[in-house]
Amino acid sequence: MIEGIEICKKFGDFTALDHLSFQVETGTVYGLIGPNGAGKSTLLRHTAGIFKPDSGEILYDGEPVFENHGAKQKMAFIPDDVFFFNHSTIVDMKNYYKGIYQKFDEKVFEELWACFPLLDRKTPMRRMSKGMQKQAAFMLAISMRPEFLMLDEPVDGLDPVMRRQIWSILMSEVSEKKMSVLISSHNLRELEDVCDHIGIMNKGKILLQHSLEDLQSSVTKIQVVFEDEMPDLDREFHIVSRSDLGKVHTLIIRGDSGEITDALNKYHLIFMEVLPLSLEEIFIYELEGEHYEVKDIIL
Amino acid sequence: MIHLDYRDSRPMYEQVRDGFRRLIIQGAMAVDEKLPSVRELASSLAINPNTIQRAYRQLETEGYVYVVAGKGSFVAGVPEKESVRKRELLKKLEEILEELFYLNVSEEELGERVHKVKEAIGREGGKVNDRGN
Repeated sequence: MIEGIEICKKFGDFTALDHLSFQVETGTVYGLIGPNGAGKSTLLRHTAGIFKPDSGEILYDGEPVFENHGAKQKMAFIPDDVFFFNHSTIVDMKNYYKGIYQKFDEKVFEELWACFPLLDRKTPMRRMSKGMQKQAAFMLAISMRPEFLMLDEPVDGLDPVMRRQIWSILMSEVSEKKMSVLISSHNLRELEDVCDHIGIMNKGKILLQHSLEDLQSSVTKIQVVFEDEMPDLDREFHIVSRSDLGKVHTLIIRGDSGEITDALNKYHLIFMEVLPLSLEEIFIYELEGEHYEVKDIIL
Repeated sequence: MIHLDYRDSRPMYEQVRDGFRRLIIQGAMAVDEKLPSVRELASSLAINPNTIQRAYRQLETEGYVYVVAGKGSFVAGVPEKESVRKRELLKKLEEILEELFYLNVSEEELGERVHKVKEAIGREGGKVNDRGN
């Protein structure tokens, strides 16, 4: 389990992390989402034991991670801007990591070549494209056989085939090795498939964190057409968002879909349909409450 | 084997569950056939293994699947008492019928359809039996 307890971090006057707590249970995947500059990457650098929090703790199975070699042996971190030494090839990097990570598994490394057919053993890593570098970093990280894996925008810059390849390997490792994973990504569509828990961050805080299941059942998107005028629903429901197109009302209401449809059935309805609510929509609605929204402007 | 649709309003685990239920009802998966392991399916669909676990658990509660400890999940067949699912489907049918009647489709026409569908399934190898009628 990866655990963050009341983490605070300031850079000068800027509060990057503000009493932030979270837990990644063993064998689960936690997705961090949030606007740019929310502090996701900063948080990941803390959980990887690179930054020391001003106050609060980060624990791997109860052990603090900062400057703790024992704990760090069990973790791998892929930052958004992956680092490779000058002129070094992926094989050079492998030898380097092999010297550091005791559990580095050369057999796994060799097997992974099959998954990344475009990677080349001889080209210096720095001459490769961003996408290729990410693939290489992922290959190396998985070969370290980590118990805790931290990924900052892991699929950013990857083509659809390689993105799926990475998720597939990741899911297999989570299932087989009970690896705990902390991911930050803006690719909400894909996070929806792979995460157990989601934490929405804004301004150094976690706005809310829930299992994906609870998150998706806590709001309902519904399309209704009333026989008569639309009744005043605000008294009965907590409506987060509404848009009307003629007689068709699209509502996003807090609450479970079953209860809401039952309640709406009391009215004379011509039509009612529950629509799928994506993580992306949840993200947008939650941050709208924080005054972070798309403005309509004409330039 | 299992198809996931992101535009579907059903959550992922329900899609997995319904997918297997369909395969079992249609006989595409035979009794005692092994379901793919959670790891295999998580890896091939690239989705969270706990989602699949959840779908499998439900299939087990509903009686479609049995679990052998350490070996995996196997097809049990179509459970005798399928009241929940039956009620769900009948409700769906009612909704569809309502719309069809509104479109002036006659009862006789619907009857013919019912007959046709039943015959077609019968030809496929008699997977539908008349138990419980």
